[in-house]
Amino acid sequence: MNALAKYVYVGRTAVRSNMAYLGEVAARVFFLTVILYIFLQLWLVTYAETGADRLGGLTLAQMLWYLVITEAITLSAPAVALEIDSDVRTGAIAVQLVRPLSYPLYRLWATLGERAVRFILNALVGSALALLMVGPIALSPQGLGLFLLALPLAFVLDFMAYLAIGLCAFWLENTSGLVLIYSRMTMIFGGVLLPIELYPDSVQWLLVNLPFASIAYAPARMFVDPNAFELVKVLARQGVGIAIFAAIAAAIYAAALRRIHAHGG
Amino acid sequence: MEGRIELDGLRKTFHVTRWQRLRRTVGEVVAVDGVSAQIPAGQSVAFIGPNGAGKSTTIKMLTGILHPSSGTARVSGLTPWHERRKLAYQIGAVFGQRSQLWYHLPPRDTFELLARVYSLDRERYRRTRDVLVERFGLGPFLDMPVRKLSLGQRMRAEIAASLLHEPRVVFLDEPTIGLDVVARHELRDLIQEWNREQGVTVLLTSHDAGDIEGVAKRVIVINHGRVVLDDSVSSMRRRYLGTKLLKVRFHERPAPIELDGVSLVKAAEYALKLEVDTRTVPIMRVVTRVLEAGPVADIAIEDPPLDEVIAHIYSQTARERDMLVQAR
Repeated sequence: MNALAKYVYVGRTAVRSNMAYLGEVAARVFFLTVILYIFLQLWLVTYAETGADRLGGLTLAQMLWYLVITEAITLSAPAVALEIDSDVRTGAIAVQLVRPLSYPLYRLWATLGERAVRFILNALVGSALALLMVGPIALSPQGLGLFLLALPLAFVLDFMAYLAIGLCAFWLENTSGLVLIYSRMTMIFGGVLLPIELYPDSVQWLLVNLPFASIAYAPARMFVDPNAFELVKVLARQGVGIAIFAAIAAAIYAAALRRIHAHGG
Repeated sequence: MEGRIELDGLRKTFHVTRWQRLRRTVGEVVAVDGVSAQIPAGQSVAFIGPNGAGKSTTIKMLTGILHPSSGTARVSGLTPWHERRKLAYQIGAVFGQRSQLWYHLPPRDTFELLARVYSLDRERYRRTRDVLVERFGLGPFLDMPVRKLSLGQRMRAEIAASLLHEPRVVFLDEPTIGLDVVARHELRDLIQEWNREQGVTVLLTSHDAGDIEGVAKRVIVINHGRVVLDDSVSSMRRRYLGTKLLKVRFHERPAPIELDGVSLVKAAEYALKLEVDTRTVPIMRVVTRVLEAGPVADIAIEDPPLDEVIAHIYSQTARERDMLVQAR
């Protein structure tokens, strides 16, 4: 219990640290406004042209709210791979290694704290914009509860991928290329802009089962269309994804600790 | 056992892989080459050497971050690389160029976090923190975000942060880097006080001769991964450069002084600065001669600046190495 308590406190400190500077929020508000406006226009035309009430099972309002959530999730991603990269490159990782702490767990909880703050802010701004543009959608406390269950593991899963990438700094000159590839894959295969139902039938099954969908698509879909039965499947996919990414990250970390000498003289 | 540091034949080599025309060659670089030393609990030791001498590598082995290639070390009775987590409660470390404080938060918040990380008893933590706040003069900026602190304030908070869990051994890796003269002096005094009063073992690396004199009783010089000198600070000065500086002011123009082993560094109308090689000529004879040379208004005998002593040691070991290479 005590061991967990210290990491929870790391998360709490990260929340406070991120509350302390909200300057970059303005930039995200602007970006969210632009993207939501563009997609609102696109969807207005699409729904009108097809004459359909629902596309991929979602109404126009749900479609925009879906986008609010996926964008709130992707825009809340902290630069954790870059931070780990720089910890490795500058030798700053030593500061954490002389503590009675696990470095990956320390990073995980700090990231969760940071991400919680950013997500909430993004979601608040996005919701205000969506309310203005398309009005509210039906929400229930139970539905929100299901969504909130699907969200934390999405963040953990995303973190494990960034951890594995950041630790590659022990071997690579620069990991920002990998970060870019990974984040674009999340964007495309994870259904950030379009729900996976709108992708060709032949790839839907694959995409839903890839870890990317567990990060953006699954929680957002749970938000606009809560479903307890689906949630079980989502959690199972997230669990498997976390297990796989964590195993990869752990292998890289173990190999990395043996190489630690090479950095920071 | 607590607070003792023992190194026995500690050695670390790195493999460096090079690719040349698709052929791979693996070279071996020796970073630390059989370092041995015994540091009793409560001693303050300066661990110095030129860049790349192996200081940081040694400290990383002693803090358990690195495994040595061979040799043993014990810190507070623990083998660092096997018992890193356990050792973490016994040691504190400050890496001068890397901050442990949360940049956007006041030092107080980092202290609170560290109290949890080290699972400190609340009562005891508060007491230690209050003592440190008082001693290190952190009061005025304890609740200010770290990004607003001056470097001197930040370093004081950094060192206090590394002492919160009352470690028995403290590793300070260039703690005064970038500080101005006043802040540097303050920090040295604080470290020295803490070492004396709490009996904490201090291992300090620095390039600043003032740090070494201000904090350490003993100095271990390493170069090319080997210990080239292990001595008390005062005897290093005496032994290594057998010279003294003699500054004299006269009431009248003095008679010229000519003696073997005495060279004139500077001369003004009524004043002289002499360098005395005490291995050639006893200082007493020089002083006697000076007194004969004219009516003395003021006289001072000084050690040469430690900077020069250190530069001398470094260059000497470099020369010895060159000679070895030639001999081969």
